[in-house]
Amino acid sequence: MVNTMTTIQEVKVTASRIAVIIGKGGATKGLIEEKTGTELAIDSAEGTVTVEGEDALSVLRTIEIIKAINRGFSPERALLLLEDEDMLLEIIDLSGVCTTTKQMERIRGRIIGKGGRARAQIEDMTGAAISVHGKTIALIGMPEQLKVARAAVDMLLEGLPHETVFSFLDRKKKEAKTDILEYYY
Amino acid sequence: MAAENEKWGIAHIFASFNNTIITVTDLSGAETVTKSSGGMVVKQARNESSPYAAMQMATNVAHNARDKGIVGVHVKVRAPGRGKQRSPGPGAQAAIRALARAGMRIGRIEDVTPVPHDGIRTKGGKRGRRV
Repeated sequence: MVNTMTTIQEVKVTASRIAVIIGKGGATKGLIEEKTGTELAIDSAEGTVTVEGEDALSVLRTIEIIKAINRGFSPERALLLLEDEDMLLEIIDLSGVCTTTKQMERIRGRIIGKGGRARAQIEDMTGAAISVHGKTIALIGMPEQLKVARAAVDMLLEGLPHETVFSFLDRKKKEAKTDILEYYY
Repeated sequence: MAAENEKWGIAHIFASFNNTIITVTDLSGAETVTKSSGGMVVKQARNESSPYAAMQMATNVAHNARDKGIVGVHVKVRAPGRGKQRSPGPGAQAAIRALARAGMRIGRIEDVTPVPHDGIRTKGGKRGRRV
């Protein structure tokens, strides 16, 4: 092909997360560029990251990674998205659920749990990675993992007790095993 | 850039949490070449939006489109938007990937989710979604 097509996409990033994307002396930025084969142009004054690359798919992937970092994931955890092609990022917006900052804080606290225990438990049982940051909850994982994790988070948002949610996760974990068998046969 | 007979199209991918719809049209968007939706490949309603369904749909669509002489597609991804969520559902990524895997050349990828310039009220009522 004469004309190699480059894809350019832009994402907005919060000012406080720009530094994380760049990393120490550009280390993280370099790592992302190397792993995805794209080029990042970061405008810290505007708060935009421009991703440019030959392969449209990897550009799309890179955008996901940057969105994940923007939503509070550490770069290492955001790069989980590259490990498997089916990995997805899901962002749950809390602003539709509660109106005041006080309510928001309470709900965030419920999802994180004492010393991060509730969050750790959900991560453990489903295999998805969870990040609670600002007005959003972000999840990274395989589609089935996300489905369960999202349901668990929704239950916590609705105000169900933690125990109920954990027993729900327990049940789902057992079901998942039989589901896998059913899927293939 | 390309030979005269290389036809390109546009793949419109609508990905919600409940379904994924792929429509391939010509470059003007007026003439549909082929289309597919979740219900055409899976039997359970809850699987319509799954990435696996999207993959199957994309391969079917790619196959049909190639039969009609289309070698590559530009992609327009769309989520429900307006009052609903603005990020595409789980099927979008999978569909694009499967299109590429099936030998379709992927041109530009664009997000065409309708975003209101402050239009309608989101569902949930005055007091929000109560928890």
